[in-house]
Amino acid sequence: MKIFWAELSLNKKLATIALTLGLIALFAGDPYGGTTIKVNEKDIALSTVGNADKVIVTELADWIIKDKSDFELVDLRSEEKFNEYTIPGSQCIPLPQISSSELQRNQKIVLFSDDDVESSQAWFILKSKKYKGVYILDGGLELWKEKVLFPKAPINGGKEELAEFEKMKEVAKYFGGQAQTDSSVAETKQEIKLPTPTVGTTKTTPPTGKKKKREGC
Amino acid sequence: MNAPFFKFEYFNSEVSLIIAFIIGIAFGIALEKGGFGRATILSAQFYFTNMRVLKVMFTAIVTAMLGLYFLSVFGFVDLSLVYLTQTNLLPMAVGGLIAGLGFIIGGYCPGTSMVAVATGKLDAMVFVSGMIFGILVFGEMFPGIENFFNSGYMGNVTLPSYFNLSYGLVVFLVVLMAVGAFTAAEWGEKKMAAKSGKEIL
Repeated sequence: MKIFWAELSLNKKLATIALTLGLIALFAGDPYGGTTIKVNEKDIALSTVGNADKVIVTELADWIIKDKSDFELVDLRSEEKFNEYTIPGSQCIPLPQISSSELQRNQKIVLFSDDDVESSQAWFILKSKKYKGVYILDGGLELWKEKVLFPKAPINGGKEELAEFEKMKEVAKYFGGQAQTDSSVAETKQEIKLPTPTVGTTKTTPPTGKKKKREGC
Repeated sequence: MNAPFFKFEYFNSEVSLIIAFIIGIAFGIALEKGGFGRATILSAQFYFTNMRVLKVMFTAIVTAMLGLYFLSVFGFVDLSLVYLTQTNLLPMAVGGLIAGLGFIIGGYCPGTSMVAVATGKLDAMVFVSGMIFGILVFGEMFPGIENFFNSGYMGNVTLPSYFNLSYGLVVFLVVLMAVGAFTAAEWGEKKMAAKSGKEIL
């Protein structure tokens, strides 16, 4: 055996090694380790410390205005609701489909639904599947409407608060909403029509080429 | 599971640039040492007179594949964190044809042209400036071809998932294919050498 090996040329030796490893691979199993999930509960619990797993609605509005594209915005509600109104630039992945979605583990993912419940569920599913950068839009769409689309003027606010409100007015306009300067208007909030989704809403999975940060050669 | 290192945040993106720089230098040296900085060797592949490109590529592919496969089976690499390029079938086939044409006509592929520029080859410099011009043209006409560019989307497909085969089987088949291609290449080179009556590098 030893003599046989020594007599082989380098190329043949390498070919033999490759073939042997290939043969072993036939029986060595799946490198992805199947679909069973081991959850490190401590790791998951720790990632909520200091609200590090949350994104504030005004922060998100800022990102969208600045055209930041290093995150995927995911609407977890039904397609019906998604078509009615959604945050610009989001894609619709209803919660039951989240585990079979095309989302990449290396992406920064911001989840939202009407409130925090569904996004928390999706957050846990993705976290347990070893997704790294999963975030919840704190307060969901409800808070988005309240803070970004229809911000209310501060009552007896100081100079700083008023300046902040002026800024928020512009932001609300950008997203097709309207700031509430009069408290009586706030009462009729239910009748305010939501802006129709026109600004770059992408439908379900196939991501548009330009929005994605590309990797590879 | 502790690799890929960057995805597990063992270092930040600044450090990753330094590492990319070092790996890039190593890659360039390997290409130059392999003779990939010469257009004559590269284009000879297309006339089957010199099979070096095929041999080097297959060696690299098989080595990387076996390495990644076993490292992930042993649990050192999380394969699901390794970036996969999305597949858009028809646009990629068309792009591949154009790149192949450019490869035969110019004698370089994008990476090897950079290596040849580094060793001061004039033709490679022209090639690279043409490439940059082509990128500009592509960028300008992109809105017109965007629909085609995004068509035929198949997601992140791999051979095992597409053909529903086990990963091990695909690894074995690729090794077989590589060894077969090597044998055929050696045999073919001898034949070609006999025909043209001269020795080939």
